[in-house]
Amino acid sequence: MIAGRRAALVGVALLAIGLVLPFVHGVYIVFAIDLVCFALAAVAFDLLLGFTGLLSFGHALFWGGAGYVSTILIAHGVTSFPLAVLAGVGYAFVLSVVVGAVAVRRSGIYFAMITLAIGEIQYFVAFQLIDLTGGENGLPEPTRGTLFGLSLENDHVYYYLVLAIAAAGTLLAVRAVTSPFGAVLAAMRENETRAKSIGYDTDRFKLAAFVMSGTLAGLAGALYAGANRLASLDAVDWHTSGAIVMMTILGGIGTIYGPIVGAAVFQSLDFFVSKTAIGDKTNIVMGLVFAIVILVARRGIVGELLHHLNARRPRFVEDEDDPDRLVADVAGETA
Amino acid sequence: MSQLTPDYLLIQIFNGLVNGGFYALLALGLSIIFGMLRIVNFAHGTMYMLGAFVAYYGAQEIHLPFFAALIVAPLVVGAFGLLLEVTLLRRLYGLDPLYNLLLTFALVLVIEDLMRLVAGALGSPYETPAMLAGATNLGFTEYPTYRLFVIVVSVIVCAAVYVIIERTQLGAKIRAATEKPDLTRAFGIDTSRLVSATFAFGVALAALGGVLAAPNTNVQPTMGDSVIINTFAIVVIGGMGSILGSIVAGFALGVIAAVGAVLFPPIANTLIFIVMVLVILFRPAGLFGKPERAA
Amino acid sequence: MNTSRFCYAFAAAAALLAPLASPSGVAADNGPIKIAVITDMSGVYAAISGQGAVEATKMAVEDFGGKVLGRDIEVDGIDHRNKGDEAAAKAAEAYDSGAELALDLTNSATAVAVAGVAKQKHKLAIVTGGASSAITGESCNQFTYHYAYDTYALASSTGRNIARQPNGKTWYGIVPNYKFGQSMLADFTTAVEGEGGKFVHADMYPFPGTTDFSSYLLAAKEAKPQVLGVLNAGADTVNTMKQVKQFGLDKQMKIAVGLLFLSDVDALPDVFSGSRITTSWYWNEDKAARAWADRYTKRVGNGTRPTDIQAADYSATMQWLNAVKAVGSVDAEKVQKYLDGRQFNDFYAHAGEWRARDHRVTHEMYVVDVLDKSVIKEPHAWFKIVQVIPPSRAFRPESQSKCNKDW
Repeated sequence: MIAGRRAALVGVALLAIGLVLPFVHGVYIVFAIDLVCFALAAVAFDLLLGFTGLLSFGHALFWGGAGYVSTILIAHGVTSFPLAVLAGVGYAFVLSVVVGAVAVRRSGIYFAMITLAIGEIQYFVAFQLIDLTGGENGLPEPTRGTLFGLSLENDHVYYYLVLAIAAAGTLLAVRAVTSPFGAVLAAMRENETRAKSIGYDTDRFKLAAFVMSGTLAGLAGALYAGANRLASLDAVDWHTSGAIVMMTILGGIGTIYGPIVGAAVFQSLDFFVSKTAIGDKTNIVMGLVFAIVILVARRGIVGELLHHLNARRPRFVEDEDDPDRLVADVAGETA
Repeated sequence: MSQLTPDYLLIQIFNGLVNGGFYALLALGLSIIFGMLRIVNFAHGTMYMLGAFVAYYGAQEIHLPFFAALIVAPLVVGAFGLLLEVTLLRRLYGLDPLYNLLLTFALVLVIEDLMRLVAGALGSPYETPAMLAGATNLGFTEYPTYRLFVIVVSVIVCAAVYVIIERTQLGAKIRAATEKPDLTRAFGIDTSRLVSATFAFGVALAALGGVLAAPNTNVQPTMGDSVIINTFAIVVIGGMGSILGSIVAGFALGVIAAVGAVLFPPIANTLIFIVMVLVILFRPAGLFGKPERAA
Repeated sequence: MNTSRFCYAFAAAAALLAPLASPSGVAADNGPIKIAVITDMSGVYAAISGQGAVEATKMAVEDFGGKVLGRDIEVDGIDHRNKGDEAAAKAAEAYDSGAELALDLTNSATAVAVAGVAKQKHKLAIVTGGASSAITGESCNQFTYHYAYDTYALASSTGRNIARQPNGKTWYGIVPNYKFGQSMLADFTTAVEGEGGKFVHADMYPFPGTTDFSSYLLAAKEAKPQVLGVLNAGADTVNTMKQVKQFGLDKQMKIAVGLLFLSDVDALPDVFSGSRITTSWYWNEDKAARAWADRYTKRVGNGTRPTDIQAADYSATMQWLNAVKAVGSVDAEKVQKYLDGRQFNDFYAHAGEWRARDHRVTHEMYVVDVLDKSVIKEPHAWFKIVQVIPPSRAFRPESQSKCNKDW
């Protein structure tokens, strides 16, 4: 579903929308930046859920943790934006290796519980390290820093930078899942025991996927802290982990581009509904939408769309000899 | 740090047993639901909250006495749980259990927010029943009578549930339906009825916890949020699906947390999670769980 | 898909588009002047502030005449839902679409977040709801004022009032171990020790996550202090007070609560009766306050009385509008220079001053006892004023300010 020309078109279309988003009437620029950050986080999350089959309920660990690290550095005088963000990403990377090593030994519910619990530990630590994190007040980011001398204070400049980074991150994710690495992940998802018996160290692959997912989510989180010029406890709260899960499922797990749509829909609903007359019932709306999706449209927006598109016309699969060519699937074997 | 006399520690242990009682009731319900239905009920804390509110509204509207609420609230909330199971959760049984986890997560959002619209975000007042007010002399201290009541009720209920499940025919059917649903059905036992009843029962236990909590805690729509994550941790520590595990882990961790709160305050709220991570590392199935089918 | 070609295309598009982008909807100089009331509309602080704050602000605008400098005044209520990043984003959006003032900011995290945005956008923010004294301390800035109360004022007033008396010297503290709690303890300790009292012990309990205070309360019972300092907030205060009553501690010692509002007592009168707290204003404190409160109650329509935050919102709005009129401009820097050092008096702030040193707005504070529902003379008349604290004693002295003033 991800490879091939059709998928590439989807990617380009999303990018085009991203390019013109700030000009759409009613879209506020900071909201747009936040949206792109969440989109990247959802893509990262999908790597883990859609392609490795692991549900993490603790992605706020990386999203929020990296946000804090980069903000702490800037608050202590680091003016180079890449440096601060890289530090955040580095923190997410190390954390994901450590957490992953513990968590991937288990799967399913246990995996979710471990990530949830470790996420809570980080939350409480962030609460307690008041001098470093500002405690419940959060840590304001005095400046966004500079990128090769260019100031990032202008929201529009920052937006396009974030968009570029998010696009690159998505590209990386796409590359990963369409590579031989991704093929092994797919095999593991289908039948882990068989994959093991062929000789793949499935735990290693799961760990690799987890680290990739966590690091990318950390990147998104560091950029997000810059968007709002604030690192806050909400970012390391399990409710944020839950929001990322919801966005991904809303868009469609296992589709990489789906979570981008999911994040956009989720954030838009959240932001705009909270401004309407029923604004105080936003949670009910979000909960209902999510419940309905789980009950009747589990594949998510993009997933359901792709499913119906595929059902109507003859299916195309990649030619075995030339992956860039699509041939009609006459035998109808592929799902 | 307060004077660490043996008396003081003893008081802490009692406090731990009170909290442990709540944990045990909640973990028990969650564990039963998981063991039987393979559902991780994220909405368990919400059911606890609903139990407290049934007690509150019962008292407000029909002068429902506390002792009656102990029966009525679990019945009402159990019925509500039954409704949820039959109309919503049942649809997802054939699928990856993670979908049910996510559905119950969505339910938390909806139910809590609806409750907020009804009851407001601030607390609703619920008094300690007059008969249980005041303190009892335990020898080493004067201890609030109500808290002793909580310990007694939670121990009795946990023991009763354990006996029912492990020693009665009904319990045998439940265990059979949990371990080998197809075989059990082949024997003519209606497993789907059993499943629904079990979910309702698990939820009723949570509601009972809510009623017991109401006099002591702020009855507000988000009161379930603060218990659900801890409850998950305890169920994992005890062993998911293990009745004995939930009870023992619940009481034990209640005491550990209470003692930890005065001995090592900085890490007190993370103590449960640290224990959970250690258990997963060294005894993955939980203290009393069977090293079985990875969930 | 050819990666490098894609990159070039993207870079070109972005380079072309970015400079063209302009902030959406900048208000023209004859468009309406907007006030953004950013508060918690639906959560735990909605009763303290919420929609009532928006109404109070609208009242001020109407009383002012609805227009200033020939332009209409618009009041927008914005729900921050108690999230700092959401508050920051919505504040930035409000400022960019014509808001000249962000008001209320109940919840310290949102207050600190919006203060940062205010500084960045060079627009004013007046915090009435948030409690943290960091707003005029380490997070102070040129464009933010702290109007109503703060943790120092609460601690100083209640602490001194009780410790002054011979039966108020020994204190036992129930303190949540986070920034708010630690500030409260530090400030209460200063106040109490200043009157010759002391904290015999303070239990720093884990926050968040503690709902059971029995161990600490039992220890307090053993320690037999004269005063129990309940220095927490929100649900914690409710839980602590419920358990205080359960253990009968209120019969044994004086109960001082750090942070409490009229609406909290409305919700749970039995829990809070008998405690002593500090407030920045009480609706029945004098004729002028009552007159305003009557108008508010009539307007809002359900019989509730305004909290001090809602009154502060009215007062701050009126002050700001008058300043704008006097200066002849909405420019934040000009208004700020006008306000700094200015003294004023209204039904809310007695002996008020916009302190220039750190943007702390000082005024009288009131130490009150919470009455039992059996003795109140009319609905919502929960408080009985026991002492009026002058601003010089209530607020952190300028010499001790932690504000790194950069303007």
